This record gives sequence, structure tokens and C-alpha cells, in this order.
Amino acid sequence: MKDIFRVRRMWRPRAELKDRYDVVIIGGGSHGLATAYYLAKNHGITNVAVLEQSYIGSGASGRNTTIIRSNYRTPEGAEFYKRSVELYERLSGELDFNLMFSQHGHLTLAHTDSSLRVMQERAEVNQILGIDSRVVHPEEIGRLCPQIDLSDKPTWPIMGALYHAPGGIIRHDAVVWGFARGADRAGIELHQNTAVTAIETDAGHVTAVQTNRGRVEADVFISATAGWSTLTTGMAGVRLPITTHILQAFVTEPVKPFLDVIIVSAQMHVYVSQTDRGEFLIGAEIEPYTTYKSIGTFSFLEICSRHVLELFPQLERLKVLRTWTGLCDLSPDYSPILGRTELDNFHLSAGWGTYGFKAAPIVGTTLAELVSTGKTPALIAPFALERFHTDTLVSELAAAAVSH
Amino acid sequence: MRLRSQPAERIDRNHPITFTYAGEEHTGFAGDTIGSALYAAGRRVFSRSFKYHRPRGLLCCSGHCPNCMMTVDGVPNVRVCVEPLRPDVDVRDQNVRGSADRDLLGVVDKIGGPFTPVGFYYRTMIRPRRAWPLYEKVLRNLAGLGRVDEKANGHGPYVTVHRRVDVLVIGGGPAGRAAAEAAEGKVLLVDDRAAYDASYEVLSPATALAIYEGGLVPVAAGNTLHRIRAGRIVVATGALEQPLLFPGNDLVGVMLPDAVRRMVDEWALQPGERAVLVGEAAVDLKLQLARAGVEIVAVSLRPESLSAHGRRGRLASIDLDGERIDCDLLVVSGGLQPAYSLLAQAGARIDYEPRRGIFVPTELPAGVEVVGAAAGDIEQVPAPAVLDGRGDKCFVCICEDVTTKDVKRALREGFDSIELAKRYTTVTMGPCQGKLCQLASTRLLAHETDTDESAIGTTTARPPWRPIELGLLAGPHHEPAKLTPLHQRHEALGAEVIWTGAWRRAFHYGDPAAEVRAVHESLGVIDVSTLGKVIVEGPGAAELLDRLYPNRFSDLKTGRIRYGVLTSDGGRIMDDGTVARLDDELFYVTTTSTGSEGVVEWFEWWNAIWGYDVEIVNVTGALAAMNLAGPLAREALAPLTDAPLDNESFRYLDAKEIAVAGVPCLALRIGFVGELGYELHCPATDAGSLWDALVTAGATPFGLEAQRVLRLEKGHVIVGQDTDSESNLLSARMGWTIKDDKPDYVGKPAVPHLEVREKLVGFTSDVLPPEGAQIVRDGRIAGRVTSSRLSERVGGAIGLAWVDPDCAEEGSVISIRVDGTLRPATVTLAPFYDPEGALLRS
Repeated sequence: MKDIFRVRRMWRPRAELKDRYDVVIIGGGSHGLATAYYLAKNHGITNVAVLEQSYIGSGASGRNTTIIRSNYRTPEGAEFYKRSVELYERLSGELDFNLMFSQHGHLTLAHTDSSLRVMQERAEVNQILGIDSRVVHPEEIGRLCPQIDLSDKPTWPIMGALYHAPGGIIRHDAVVWGFARGADRAGIELHQNTAVTAIETDAGHVTAVQTNRGRVEADVFISATAGWSTLTTGMAGVRLPITTHILQAFVTEPVKPFLDVIIVSAQMHVYVSQTDRGEFLIGAEIEPYTTYKSIGTFSFLEICSRHVLELFPQLERLKVLRTWTGLCDLSPDYSPILGRTELDNFHLSAGWGTYGFKAAPIVGTTLAELVSTGKTPALIAPFALERFHTDTLVSELAAAAVSH
Repeated sequence: MRLRSQPAERIDRNHPITFTYAGEEHTGFAGDTIGSALYAAGRRVFSRSFKYHRPRGLLCCSGHCPNCMMTVDGVPNVRVCVEPLRPDVDVRDQNVRGSADRDLLGVVDKIGGPFTPVGFYYRTMIRPRRAWPLYEKVLRNLAGLGRVDEKANGHGPYVTVHRRVDVLVIGGGPAGRAAAEAAEGKVLLVDDRAAYDASYEVLSPATALAIYEGGLVPVAAGNTLHRIRAGRIVVATGALEQPLLFPGNDLVGVMLPDAVRRMVDEWALQPGERAVLVGEAAVDLKLQLARAGVEIVAVSLRPESLSAHGRRGRLASIDLDGERIDCDLLVVSGGLQPAYSLLAQAGARIDYEPRRGIFVPTELPAGVEVVGAAAGDIEQVPAPAVLDGRGDKCFVCICEDVTTKDVKRALREGFDSIELAKRYTTVTMGPCQGKLCQLASTRLLAHETDTDESAIGTTTARPPWRPIELGLLAGPHHEPAKLTPLHQRHEALGAEVIWTGAWRRAFHYGDPAAEVRAVHESLGVIDVSTLGKVIVEGPGAAELLDRLYPNRFSDLKTGRIRYGVLTSDGGRIMDDGTVARLDDELFYVTTTSTGSEGVVEWFEWWNAIWGYDVEIVNVTGALAAMNLAGPLAREALAPLTDAPLDNESFRYLDAKEIAVAGVPCLALRIGFVGELGYELHCPATDAGSLWDALVTAGATPFGLEAQRVLRLEKGHVIVGQDTDSESNLLSARMGWTIKDDKPDYVGKPAVPHLEVREKLVGFTSDVLPPEGAQIVRDGRIAGRVTSSRLSERVGGAIGLAWVDPDCAEEGSVISIRVDGTLRPATVTLAPFYDPEGALLRS
């Protein structure tokens, strides 16, 4: 509260880049900054530099649709995201920065009996792991979200939904800034506008990174660059089974509160929430083609608008204010790639597709633990890059399995 | 109050139009906008601002700024300054407690300032955590502008039109008109003002929303969306008048020159009584305003200091270079800024040009040109970043109520780039999307950080150019569905129809249990036209199939059928179906209902590599299929065909071309549902008569639900339901389809590495677990139920489940969690019904 009357810097102005750090983190998004924060907080490791090619949070962290949830399909995934949600719940207090995490509840709609079956499976998995998640039928959907069209008029009438009460939305930039401030105050250096241009390796070991501001050595290097992951690790000769695609989203002009819960329809590839500012925040699925070019498409806007109106016909005169795109790093099994690489001091957070932001605190916690102890935490062991060699994939993809 | 007739006025004084504002009746003229009619009726305060609820009046009269947003006929956030006046339109204030004139929330402006600096919400309301939902509720109710129109039905009268032109000119000013005159071929000019006669086609009033790749320009014109593809695009969007930053710059009575010009010229309105003109474009209006009866009390081209003071939110006086002047109109011009957004969105670079103080577009995308003021064809001296003066709040962004103080504070806190400052202060994020605040915020940041504007840059321009209705973007709702040729028959029978993938299918006809019984006891028929059907023909057909499937087809005899599962290169199950050999070089392949397109693509993709002389033809839509099944199938079919049906002539897994009820059919004797059955594939056009003949012969139509029960009794898997993207043939206990002595097939390299971490088995249970139920072992998840049904025939609940390999033995007992309680179930490896398959072969 006192911070509203006095002006205090969030983070120090950018310092000169030192020659050497204990840890260098490539990528100043939510994952890189969370890792930095937990390195300092949980392990007392503060001789750390976070290198960001643009401004902090300029990539996926500032472009996602801010949904936080843990109702995943695989036990590995659900357990992991459950821990993430628990950390998020405490994070505003811990960072002393209001991230505006609003757990209004999350409804994933089923329009076919096969998607209802997948929801049932997710609910069963979730319940065993202690995650509040259950299948609800149209009457209850109507109570949770009186505005939604439950009639048989839509092309795909709503048959049921997976209801996840702890699911919510958060202010994504605040997460980035909160972690950045926390890391900075612990003494960690944030270097914005500092792009890594080359990675030097020697005998299975990363020795240094070259940047547009000079060469930096470190004991441990971490890549947390989301859509640019293959390019970053490629500089070190580490190949990833990842393709980069764009994901598009838009907001409308602000209106008074209309929708509290988050609505997701996998059938229609659309998710809808209303921010605290009053804007509707609407996203879709990734585009099927690979690209780094962040130019959106009109067909996305047309199809997405149509699908929103199938759910909420009342919104037809609401106006789209701004559209944007972000890059998504997609792995073959829709699960992340987290932890070690074949280079012994080069660790990784990648392969997040469309759901990396949800995992920021738990990624930070576990990667920091890996750096500090040298051991891969059990929670992230299933997501090792090695799984593509041992053929032990973690199929979140199947949560989207279609009907027969 | 109107001026006497103006030479170019657009109002028609002979056509009065009556409308209501806040429940009271008012009259304007045809040619008025709602805004001009309200102004003529004496209204000066048009809205309250987003955060401080300050009174706001007409500022730009161009539909850019948020100041005149009202709710019109239930539609929120309508910019009434450009919304044409219609008879009986119902206009209301929005985002006020009370009225725009007397808004209780105006108190925020009086006392809120010190307590609500930029980003205050990040620093407060943190503890206790449980109180946040209450705080949030208050914040949510304060935020937002209008209200959603609950009566809208999503199916407004929207139309989408597709156009193709050689040259599209965006903007009908002098530069745009000249470009259109000079252009050759089919030329279309889009303009957001009134139409005019020209030698080329003019679409107006209409707004180009964006330029997408491939020369696609969506243009909004009323309720019609034009999707225009143009070979050449000429952007002539002109320039945007920029406001000045000085204390009190948002007061009612502060206006931009173009707004004042439109008020006088087009609507014959007197914009004030005592006016001060600041900036070149404002001073240029001197004579025109004087003619309109406005007293010009002061003019200044480049003041050193300026501040405006209000009385109850309306301009009362200003301090201009130390002199206090009473006035009720302050026309200010901060110069022009090229309207480059469409170009920047399309990928052009935007550079700052310090001499004239503007951002200009460079490095245009291919096929796009820019002319006139939009190209930077402007001569001016840059306006100062901010004018010093004491007094009221000084707004950088009037949409979001961001003040210079907010921006300065953000800078001091470390939000020192334009993008960070945008995200923290929300400057440029409001309804104008930076039209009136992008340049101002860049200049202010440059001024405060002692750098230049080019180092600060701009925020990324994003479509659309102006906010656009969801309904117009959506257009008419056309969602395709696939219907089988028998769909009308299912509907006539009262079937419950459901979605399965893109298909609409009959789920059941009223009593699925009776349908199951009919198949077991006598005869049923199901429409399976949705099955993927593919012809693979050519000298290399057999070898191609041998390489696509783990199973072998080269030794399949003509007239015989074999089951096949497709696997990915990683050995994962992708799809399944039957392969019938109709001739040496001719195979008929079926796939799952949702898999046909993917399978055909997969076949073609691989054959593009291998290059076999083979034709692959997807005949899914050309052929219908129906499965006649039940102990009476042979007897019922016999009178309808001349073909011998006895068990020696037409064996299980035979494929024969026969005529049934005069319809040429490919009959496949297979048994997905577990009884004697013939799957009849025929031309889609003949499907109706064949179906009718079978029903007349005594077959009971059965739907998808009955089929699911019947196949489950046989333990037949449904790919995508019982398998997922990680399932392999060994774990699914279908290793028998792998013919590993073949030199090569898709997935072969993966087979030696396939691990069986879980196995797909059948189970029986006393209670029916839901599909998706989990198997629990020592407190951990150890498998899942993929299919389950009650079976009258088997007598109890049956299902398929993935279990630990050491539980995958006949008679193993597993625990399934049902409604939170663990229930025992017994593993069964053989089919539940007719395990020997005697009925299929009978």
C-alpha cells in the first residue's frame, strides 16, 4: 500500500554485462524470470544474469490469454500443473505484487459424446490427484454461466462440460514484472535488449554465450525462449523435436461485467473470458503451418467471431479492438520438454505449445532445484528431452482425441 | 441552435428526425449524426471518462476518440459523432451512476488521484488473499464502458461479399482520388465519408480494416463485409490530427480543428462563443469561425505554456503564456501524423522523421503503395512534447485516462520502453488504439528520457484499423455438416441425430437396447456410409499396401478381406479398417469414419516418396454402405439377390460384387457387430432403395449406440476411443497384425523398440464404470477404462481398459474408481460374446 505514495523502481537500470556469472538464463519471459527468482529465493544463488533480446515479457508471456488451470489429462501433466496453480495462488502475497489471479472457474464445453468421454476421463484423473474437477450437465452450466446459449440452436449444442472451479485468469504482465522485481531485489541482473547471438560449446559442455553486448561465461546455462527455442538450442547444437507456429487472439472493447467464468470449446477452437478491464479476451488454436512471422490472418478473426457468437449471440455488436499473434513451440506429444539436454550444463524449458504460461512458477521452482542440486526433480522427470530417445512420450494430445 | 444555412451543409432542414436521448424526445435533421443532433439540442457533455469519470465532450468528430461513446438502441460503445441519425433511435448514456451531466462516480476525479496512481492495483488489495474477490468485484463493476445488449441474437442482417479488383485505393482524399484516376484495370476506391461520382467505382461510407497477406483487405460497409483481393493496393488514408498535451486538455470545449470544421460546414453548428485557437491548423480556422459568429479571443501558433481550467468539467478559461483568458472553446492542433496503421500492420517499417515530427512508413510490403499525407506528404513544425502549465490533469491518453504524471511515474519505476510503458500505464490500449496517443506518448517518453523519438519507437500496430463488430466479422453462420444419403430416412424414423466428427449420424431410433436385441435375435441394419472408402488400384497396389500396413496384403486372394491397422512411423496406432482385394491390382480399403481424409493423405504422402504406379481414390462420398446383421441376415438377403449366399459360396471374409434388390453392391462379409453380417457398399444414389428393401425384408434399423454395445461385446476396439496417440499394436494386443518378416513398412523400425507399459484388456464388473474411469492400484493411477456398457447378452457391465501388464491376465482382478469408490472388476482377454467367432462363420 505504501508503494502507491512513494515511487520505487521495480528493477535497477541495466548494468554492464559481466564476463562471468554462476548462471545465465536466456529469455526474460515468465519462465526465465521465475527460474531466476526461485534460484535466489530457494537456493540463494544470485550471481545470475537474465538475457532478454527485447523487453521483459515481450514474447509468449505477454501474448497469452492468461488462463491458469490444472485439469490436464495425464497424471503427469495434472500433477505438475496442480503444483503450479498452488504456487500461483500464493504468488501475489509472496511477491507483494497483485497479480490479480481470479479463480472464477473454468468450463471446457463438450459438444459431442466423445468429448464428454474425454472430459470424464480428465475429471477422474484430476479427482484422484485432488484437483477440483468434475463433469457438469447443461442445467449446472446454466447456473454457472447464465449467459451462454444452451439451446439447440447452435451448430454444436452444448452437451456438458468439464468444470474446474480453481481455474482462473491472471494479469500476465504482472507475473513477469513480479518475478522480475523479486529477482532484481535479490541481486539478479536483468539485461533487456541483450540478444544471444552464439553459444560456445566444448566437449559436451557450454562454455559461454556471445551477445550483442559481449561474451558471457557461466557455470550453468538455461534456455527459456518459447517460440525461439529451436533457434536458441540450435546455436549449441542441441536439436529439439519442436515446431514453431503462431497462435492468434483478440480483445474487444471494454464493457460492463457480463461473463465471470472462463469458457473453452475445443470443438470450436475458441476460449472466452472477460478481463477485469471489461474486455473480452478471445483466443483460438494454433495455425497448422510453421512460421516465425507474427502476421495474423483474417480467417482466424472470422471463424473465431462466428464461434464466439455460437456461444454468446448477445455479443454480436461488441467490437473487436485489437488482434495479435504469438509464437508457440509445439512438441510431438503436446507435453513440455523440461530439464537437462545432452550438454551437461545446458538446461531447457521448451515445447510448451499453448500452455507454458500456466506453468511459470513450477518451471521456475523445478529448474532452480535442478541447477542447485544437479538432480532432476521427480515432478519433471517425465518431461525430459530424453523421452524422445527412450520413446516414453506423455500424451496430452490424446485429450483432444476425436470421435470415431 | 443552428447557424444559418452553410454552403456545403449536409443536413436537410426539410426532413426533421425525431429520436430519444435519455428517454427525452429530441429532433435533428436528415444528414445529422446522432452527435451533431445532440449538440444542436444543447448537449455538451457526451460521456464520462474510463477511470476518473470526468465529463467529456466532442473532440475529434471523426469516430476516433472515445469521448462520444453512447449506447444506441442497446448497442454499447457507439461513437455518436459519426453514427448517422435514424428515426426513433434510442440513445442513452453509459458508464455513469446517474447521468453524463451528474455522475456520482465523478468523485473519483476529485479524490481518487493520489490514491489511484498508475498501476495502483498492482500494489494494493493483496492481503488478505480471500478479500481479493470482493475488491475485484468492485473493480470489475467500475471498469468497462457500455453494457452488452442482452437482446441481440447473433444473427443480425450481416452479409459477406467477395471481390477481386486490380487496384484498390484506400482513402478518398485528393491523393487517393488522383491515384484512382491514374490507375488502370478494375479500380475500386474505399472511403469512409460520403459517396461521390467518379470514373471508377467508389465504395462508401466504408472502412478498410487491415491489409493481410495475399492482398486481402476486409472492408466494412454498414452490415456488409467486403473481402477484397487486390493486385495493387494504394493506401491514401491521410493523416490524423493530433491533440496537444497540456493540463486540462480533456475538458469539454477543447476540440481538434477538423471537428470544428465539420461542425460548422456539415451540420451548421456553432462550436462555441468565445474561442482560443492554438496551433497552425487551428489558427487557419479563424475566418471560418468568425463567420459562424464565434468570437476569437486569442490565437497562438506556438505557445510556451498552456493550461485549461474548467467549471464543472466544461472549459471556462485558459492560461496562455501567462495570460488568463475566459473562453468556452479551445481549438488545439498538435499537428498531423500520417495514418500509417494499415501499412504497419501489413509489415511496413515505421521511422521517425524529426524535422516534421512524424512517423513515416517505409519498406512497404510487396504490392502495397502509399500516397499523400499517409506517405508523410506533410509540411509542419513539430509540436512540443508537452506544454507546461499548472492546474488540472494532463492526459496523454484520453481513452484510458493516462496522464503525463502516470507516464513519468512509470518511467521512474523502470517501465522505460514504449512497450513496457504501454503495458503498465495502458496508454494506446484503449478504443482509439493509439490514433490520438501513439505519437504523444512516444514524444513524451523521448522528452522525459532525454532520447529521441526514433530510439523510443512505436508500439506494434495491430488490426483492425477501427473497432469492428463481431457479428460483421462472423458474417452469416454457415457451418458445414456431412450427411449420409440416408439421412432423411433416419430423421423420418425419428432418430436422435448426433455429431461424430464432421458427420451427423443416427444415434438411436428410440430404444437402443431393443435395437441390440434385434441384431442378436433376428435382423438389424445400420447406415455405415460414414466409413472411409478408398480405392487403391494399379500394378504396385499390393506392394504399396504391404508397406503402409504392418499386416500383409500381397498374399490376400482376390475376393478376400483382411483387417488392417495403420501405424505411424513411431509404431503408434493411427487408424483401422478392412482391405478387400477385388482384383489382382485392385483393392478396396475402408477406414474409420473420421479417418478417411487423413488416411488418403497419408497414403498419397508415402506414395509420393515411393512412387508406385497406383491410383488412390477417396470414394467415401460416392458410395453409401449399410451393414445387414443378425442370425436372419442370409434368409432376408436371399430373396433380394441372385447370388448364392450359402456358407461355401460366400464365406466369412469374402468380398463379392452382387446385386441386391436391383442395386449393384460390393458385399463384404464381415462381423464388426458379432453376428452373421453383410456390409453392402453401393452407389450413394441407390442407397435409399437398397435401405428400403432391407427394411421391408424385416431388418430393424439400429443406430450408433447399439453398434457400440455390439462391438464391445466382441471386444472390438474403436481407434481414438480405446487407443490414444501413444498406443501401439503390442500394448493393444494386436501384435498378430504385424508381419515382421516383410522387408519394410511404416513403423517397422520402431517395432523392436516398442515397449508394453500397459495393455488393453476386456473386463467384467458388477457396476458400470463410466468411460474414462481410472484404475487404481496401491493408491496410484494404474490404468483407465476406455469403453463400458451394460450388456444384456453377457449379463452385466463389460468394458475395455488399459491396465498394468502384470494385471493383463485372464481372471486378474483390478480396482476401478466409480463415484469415488473402488470397485473390483475381472480381466477378460477373449471377446465377451461368441469368443470363437462361430456365429460370424455360420
